[in-house]
Amino acid sequence: MLQLTATILENVPVAERTFRIRLDCPALARAIRPGQFVMLRLPGTHDPLLGRPFALYDTVLDTQGQPIAVDVVYLVVGKMTGKLSQYQAGQSLTIWGPLGQPFRDVGTSSCVTCVAGGIGQTPFLAYARQLLGQRGYGGDPAKRSVEQVRLYYGVRSAAFAAGVGDFRAAGVAVHLASDDGSLGTRGFVTELLESHGPIGPLAGCGPEPMLHRLAAIAEQWGVPCQVSLETPMACGVGACFSCVTKVKTAHGDWDYRRVCVDGPVFDAAQLVRE
Amino acid sequence: MIDLSVTLGRLTLQNPVLVASGTFGYAKEMAGLVDFQKLGGIVPKTVTQSPRAGNPPPRTVETASGLLNAIGLDNDGLEHFLEQYLPYLRSLPTAVIGNIAGKTEEEWVTMAARVAEAGNGLAGLELNLSCPNVSGGLDFATNPAMTERIVRRCREVCPTLPLIAKLTPNVTSIAEIASAAAAGGADAVTCVNTFLGMAINWRHRRPILGNGLGGLSGPAIKPLALRCVWQVARLKTIPVIAVGGIATIDDAMEFLVAGASAVQVGTANFYDPIASVRIVDALPAALTQLGAGSVRDVVGTLAWPT
Repeated sequence: MLQLTATILENVPVAERTFRIRLDCPALARAIRPGQFVMLRLPGTHDPLLGRPFALYDTVLDTQGQPIAVDVVYLVVGKMTGKLSQYQAGQSLTIWGPLGQPFRDVGTSSCVTCVAGGIGQTPFLAYARQLLGQRGYGGDPAKRSVEQVRLYYGVRSAAFAAGVGDFRAAGVAVHLASDDGSLGTRGFVTELLESHGPIGPLAGCGPEPMLHRLAAIAEQWGVPCQVSLETPMACGVGACFSCVTKVKTAHGDWDYRRVCVDGPVFDAAQLVRE
Repeated sequence: MIDLSVTLGRLTLQNPVLVASGTFGYAKEMAGLVDFQKLGGIVPKTVTQSPRAGNPPPRTVETASGLLNAIGLDNDGLEHFLEQYLPYLRSLPTAVIGNIAGKTEEEWVTMAARVAEAGNGLAGLELNLSCPNVSGGLDFATNPAMTERIVRRCREVCPTLPLIAKLTPNVTSIAEIASAAAAGGADAVTCVNTFLGMAINWRHRRPILGNGLGGLSGPAIKPLALRCVWQVARLKTIPVIAVGGIATIDDAMEFLVAGASAVQVGTANFYDPIASVRIVDALPAALTQLGAGSVRDVVGTLAWPT
């Protein structure tokens, strides 16, 4: 884990209220794995005071194939992301990471299906590239482990779809849904998924109701399902105990677990759905 | 060569910069990020006699230059701490000060005795008499007689271990509570725990925190904490460890001049994990600026306007 001051190489709009920021941080880029996240903080201000967690979108390689930078794709939702969207190349941010547990090995399977809602597509690009053997992460060599990766991606409207081209360029089969029908099928992405099922293993990231629905689908289909959770965090490293979620224990009970260190990727069957 | 060491009663630290309980996990979380051997000491998260699940989320919310929290002492209990966390903590190259909270007077005594018996490697014990987030529990340090009694009874079962009473600022006179802790036999007091506060979502007409109320920390409370520290330190009855909004060398120096013998970095560990190390590194130059050869030379040197 490293804390660095990283120079912004790019901060460009990629969709409605959605930006991709590229940070110059080679040591962190070499270490981070798909599913992990970083904390970003605006230096020199108390407004906002705390850093915010952001999933790895992907690492950026130099001409020799060495990781040199980290890409994060973010939606402007509040004060921090609003200010972040105003930052220019050449300015710097405080970054610490890599944080949390990466996506787990799914063993042998011909296809992995990622299901994303809202800004929940962001952890899946690196994951897809890892599964398809296009990239190694965290110092591991590239190794193909699945034949196919599918992405089911639901957005409120076409303008908010971010990175669809990146997924297609990586060879991912993309299936789109939108609330208003302006992109792909009208309706919930989980409905689109169900109409194509059963398929698995699944990986999900998005709003809580979507993840609950996905967990129920996975249970019904009898397929494994990993979900990447997003919760408010103060530190991102496990020190503050803010970001807890209810996880089932061995005795049929539950306990709060920190999303930042025990997650953000959990087995959906382990989470208590409320 | 500047002497950074400080002595607070029975407790001697290699430098006056500690990290505060509840803001540094059990230290392992910060490994690789923070160079532990540079720190004056580490105070791990409060442990209670029995495991506590803690409060429902949201447990924290950011407010203007501050952090409001209601974690609720989420921990796995004292025995788990002694078995699972202490072996790692005692291996660290800095002083580790345990932190406990009892629910009743008897529980305080039982826990303190257990620490005295099984807490090998702890440089001291901080008594969290002041967590504002434990529903149904007593905020012991709002009452001078209760504070003195708890400290005295812990002292009886910990005759040699340095004891530090962590005090709440949510009282009329913190100096009175600090004097009570001194009378009970504490080696030092930590001033201050969080200020009770709340945050509201008016559209939903609900408090934002799952617990309703929370404790405010961070830069927002620094002037309030400075006032408390000064009010206690000027009595010269007991050494003070300052905590409350300390994030930079300037913050640390202000508290030393106000009368603190040591400082704890708290919320800053969340938003700038290496803040404490940066303060330690900057300390010799700051002391030199004041012509001081040691930390002691600046403690409580505030010149009151005449």
